[in-house]
Amino acid sequence: MPMLAIDHVTKTYRGGVLANDDITLDAAAGEVFGLLGPNGAGKTTLVSQVLALLMPDSGTITIDGIDVVRRADEARRLCSFQPQAAAPVEGLTARQAVEIVGCVRGGRRDAVRRRAAELLDALDLGEVADRTVRMSGGMARLTGFCMAAVVPGRVVVLDEPTNDVDPMRRRALWQQIRRLADDGAAVLLVTHNVLEAERCVDRLAIVAGGRVRAIGAPGTLKAELAAPLRLECTLDPDRPAPDLPASATLMATTGRRLLAQVQLADVGHAVTWAQRAQDLGVITEFSVAAASLEDVYANWVQAEVASA
Amino acid sequence: MSGQGWCACVLLFRWQMLRNRQLFVLLVTIQIALGVGVIYGFSYLVPHVDAEVALFFATGAPTLTLILMGLTLVPQETALARVNGRYDYVSALPVPRLAPMVADVSYWLLVQLPGTLVTLLLAAWRFHLHFHVDGLVIPAIVLVSLTAAAVGYGVALTFPPTATTQVTQFLSIALLLFSPIEFPLSRLPEWLQDVHRVLPVTYMADVIRGGLTGHYGVSKSLAFAVLGAYCVAGLALSARAANRRG
Repeated sequence: MPMLAIDHVTKTYRGGVLANDDITLDAAAGEVFGLLGPNGAGKTTLVSQVLALLMPDSGTITIDGIDVVRRADEARRLCSFQPQAAAPVEGLTARQAVEIVGCVRGGRRDAVRRRAAELLDALDLGEVADRTVRMSGGMARLTGFCMAAVVPGRVVVLDEPTNDVDPMRRRALWQQIRRLADDGAAVLLVTHNVLEAERCVDRLAIVAGGRVRAIGAPGTLKAELAAPLRLECTLDPDRPAPDLPASATLMATTGRRLLAQVQLADVGHAVTWAQRAQDLGVITEFSVAAASLEDVYANWVQAEVASA
Repeated sequence: MSGQGWCACVLLFRWQMLRNRQLFVLLVTIQIALGVGVIYGFSYLVPHVDAEVALFFATGAPTLTLILMGLTLVPQETALARVNGRYDYVSALPVPRLAPMVADVSYWLLVQLPGTLVTLLLAAWRFHLHFHVDGLVIPAIVLVSLTAAAVGYGVALTFPPTATTQVTQFLSIALLLFSPIEFPLSRLPEWLQDVHRVLPVTYMADVIRGGLTGHYGVSKSLAFAVLGAYCVAGLALSARAANRRG
């Protein structure tokens, strides 16, 4: 039985906004499950229902077999979380915030103290551990993670845990997230950071327009792509974007970045085109690489935008 | 509430204390100043303060601050917590639904305690009053604060955060001007007296006054029974509002 099971959940807000439309997914103990999607996709609404803060219109959510809707108190004991907004740490030192939440979650005082020290040390939070300073966004977010991890639930929900976090601490954070799963929790990870998620998640769901568009392991999803290669170009901002050759399929243009899919047989043609475009100064650089999870994500989100 | 529930209340209270420790002295000072203001300010409104009026001023001041704490400070704090995400964060923790309110009330009672003591001492000195403190003053304080806070908490969870301040200010003004806290019930028009015989405010003022002087306006047991019923009903409604999920 999965540790977290979300079964045909639909949620409509007052005013008729359909936030979640028949969502079904599950996460097993020991698994990091990624929830990816653009802003307004319905991810935070889904998380709020897992935390028993919102009630689904239909469908069920269970944590270790416990119905979240009917037994909300029990479900809250089984689930710890880091909110998308900064955790409420104002006026407290990081250590105080982490220890209080650990004790509220039922941890024994000495065990909580040890675990808090371990987490603060692992994430290099020494400078705010015992000082009531106004924390930077990244420090507050890392403290929020420690508050979720000090006495972790059987399900740990992390909503955008790496936002504002510097690269070195981010690496340490991913290690701690992995460790939570290795210690037996099912980790539900909500993120926009597709490239990082690709390295950390075991399975993921891409949510767009309130619906699950794709679900599976990163490798499986990449294998389902129409083309195995990606052509990425950096555009010259002062020149109009070039027309792609017929052998490449445009996936996304964001700012100066152009992303296209290329079939293996067409790679030579695509590279020749890109080299010429670079010689003409229309693009400043390009690369061809194996398709990534970002291509899967762009594929589905672009399909959603096109159908909207 | 279970043992774990009370433990959660204590931890949330500690959280509240730590969050506001830098403001604690300032808030206590403001409460003392308010108490002093009530004793001196109301005497300007009523130039000839006789023994009865003085007693109402002296015992009405702590009642008023307790009720205003529940009806303004607690809901405004809750509305702010709803806006900045703290309310949702605490709601997702395994704590009883009313634990944040109990922690808030405990914190604000601690803030108000020095002000209340100073107010009573000042009133005793200025108006030559002699208090006969009854042991029932403690349950009276708890009942008054919890009842008012239950209403305030319910308001904060029912109305949008932006409207909470307006609603609580309206309640405060109504309470200050049209409730028999700082003056006897008999001064109000008869229809308003009838309304106040049903509402809890008269009984709130009465149990505090009785606890401080030993003299109750109505039957002691009736006052506590009515207030107890309001308290239970208020807490039940607040718990319902806190349990409501959108």
